[in-house]
Parts: sequence; C-alpha cells; structure tokens
Amino acid sequence: MSAEELGHSKVSIMDQVGPNIIHHVSNSDISHPIIHLGTFWGIDFSITKHVFMLWIVAVILMVTIIIPIRRFIASGSLVPTGWMNAIEAISKFIRDTIVKPNVGEKWVMTWSPLLMTFFFFILFANGIGMIPIFDVLGLINRFILDVPADPHGTHSGNIINGMLHGGVTATGNFNVTGALATITFFSIMIAGTLAHGFIKHFKNLVPHGLPIPVYFLLIPIEIMGLFVKPFALTMRLAANMTGGHVALLALLSLMAIFGEMFNSTFAGVGVAFIAIPMAAAIAALEIIVVLVQAYVFTLLTAVFIGMAIHVHH
Amino acid sequence: MESTIFIPLGMGLIVLGAGMGIGKFTSAAAESIARQPEAADKITGAINLPLFLLEGVAILAEVFTFLMLILK
Repeated sequence: MSAEELGHSKVSIMDQVGPNIIHHVSNSDISHPIIHLGTFWGIDFSITKHVFMLWIVAVILMVTIIIPIRRFIASGSLVPTGWMNAIEAISKFIRDTIVKPNVGEKWVMTWSPLLMTFFFFILFANGIGMIPIFDVLGLINRFILDVPADPHGTHSGNIINGMLHGGVTATGNFNVTGALATITFFSIMIAGTLAHGFIKHFKNLVPHGLPIPVYFLLIPIEIMGLFVKPFALTMRLAANMTGGHVALLALLSLMAIFGEMFNSTFAGVGVAFIAIPMAAAIAALEIIVVLVQAYVFTLLTAVFIGMAIHVHH
Repeated sequence: MESTIFIPLGMGLIVLGAGMGIGKFTSAAAESIARQPEAADKITGAINLPLFLLEGVAILAEVFTFLMLILK
C-alpha cells in the first residue's frame, strides 16, 4: 500500500518523516494557538502548547508538592508519613548534597528554596514530557469520537484537536530553559552582592595581585564567562530533552519508512518487532536522563552561586 | 563534493571526543576507588560535576553542528 494507492497525499513517507518529527518536538504554531489572547506591546500573548504545558506542570506541582507540604507544616506533627516522607527525603537530599557543600553553612537557608524549586519544576516538566497523554487523547478523538484529523490546528472538530499539535516537553523549548537560566544569572549576582557588596562581587571575578597586562586578557574572558555559563545551562537542558524525543520518534518512524521502501505492510509490521523494543529501551534511557538533567541543572546553579559567595582562585 | 558532507563527520568527531573523555574519567575514578574504598562517596561526588560539564560541552557542540546543517 503505497502513498499513492492510499490516496491520502502525493507526498512520500520519507518526505513526511522529517517535518513530522520536528512538529512533534517544537512548539505549536503561534497563528493557531490553543487560547487566543491579544497582542500587547508588540508581543502576542496567545497560549501555545508549551505555555499550556507550563500551566499543567504548575498545577500538578501545586497539587502534589505545595499543598501537602503546607498541610504538613500547619498540622504541626514532627514525623512525616507516606508521600510527605518522600518529599522530605528528596528535599533533604537536595539541601545536604547539593546546596550545603557548595553554598556553605551560612547561606543554606537563603538559597535552598530556589534550588528546590528548580529541581522539582525541572523534574516534573521533563517527566510529564515522557507521558504520551495527548497522543492517547488524539487516538480517542479520532477512533472513538470520530472527529476528523486537523492538520493545521484550525480548531475544526472539538477543543482537543486544537491541543494536539506541538511537543509536550515544556523544557525542550530553549526559551523556557533560557528563562530558568536567567534566574540563575541574576541569582549569582544577588548571591555575590549579599555576601560581598555589589562592586566587590564584580571585583572578585578576577584574582588580585596579578601583573597589569594579564588583566587586559582576563577581564573580557571572565565577563564572557558570566554569560556563557547560563547559556550552557540553557542549551544543555533543552538539547537533552529534545534530543531524546527526536531519537524515540525516529526509531518509531522506521516502521513507516520500511513499509514504504518495500511497498508492503508486512515489511513495516516486521520492523516493528525490532523498532518498538529499541524505542522502549531508549525511553528507559530517557527516564534516567530526565532525573539526571534536573539534578545537573540544580547542581550547577548551586556551584555557580557557591563560587560567587566563596571566591577562591 | 558538497561542503555539507563534513557536518556529519564533525558530529562523529564530537562523539569520539566526548566518549574518550568520559572513558578516561571513569577509569581514573574506578582506579582511585580501588586504591581507597573508603573514599568512594567523595570520589563519586568529585567526578559528578566535571562529567556533566563534559556532557554539556558535547551537547552544545552537537546543537551547533545541527544548526549548521539546518541553516546551510
């Protein structure tokens, strides 16, 4: 069954695979957003898929982490049970292994909230990207509710159709991770200012007592380093998240490619016996990457804040 | 020969460099843990950070290579 015989489109599968993968990891089109908001000061505030996912992550974080913690603190009991136990174990791990060795005893309570927020937010945002809820919703839409396909997101059919486009991983968008890295950038400046004062923090960028010509080389490098470190944080998280999903989708597209190459459905289904277990293995690796990337972002932020507080050259 | 043929070659070199670096790290870590098993936790903690910095460098380089391929 070739594409021409199916009559769906005259475009071959090989040409569809690339744009399909890009469509699945990037944001939905700004001209067909999920919710239409106005344009203020030249910026279109309409809600696209990644913003929608940010909202969902915020709601889930609130329900799962913030409300149980507040209830536990308000109840006044000393020993946590059940889910609260797990949250306390993770928070203790972050405070004792990530924050305290880097930031020092004096500033632990100042910087722990920020770093715990980073960790939980990135963990949940990454993890929700691994759950194919919108694919399942699309399947239900198409085969149970019989709503026709909606290739351009024009909200034909029901609202679920409008939500299907774009990638699910909010942190796969470098703008989201760029926002997090901007918070890191300002946290480093604030940490240095709180510990040493505003001017002294910038004077601490370079070690003292070096001959003058060295400073001409060192100061531009240190200033560049101020910006490169958050940039690396941004790209590390965004590229890790998108890369995993691209690999997964490419493996799953192998079935369609082989089906078209040999012009038979049995070739496609046969490749499924190899492609799907490999995709499952890559998904398991992705889960490890999700945990590790949340840990690394938090760890590096803690290290940079620590470097601004305890200057050692 | 098209000039875009060197881009996948570059990607392969990046992976080679990252692989060699991580391999050296891990072998040094394993050797030092074998010498002094009590220090296993400290060594793991010390290895963690440079390992992920190296991985970040590899990912950054891959992203730029991919960009070159797309924007060619």
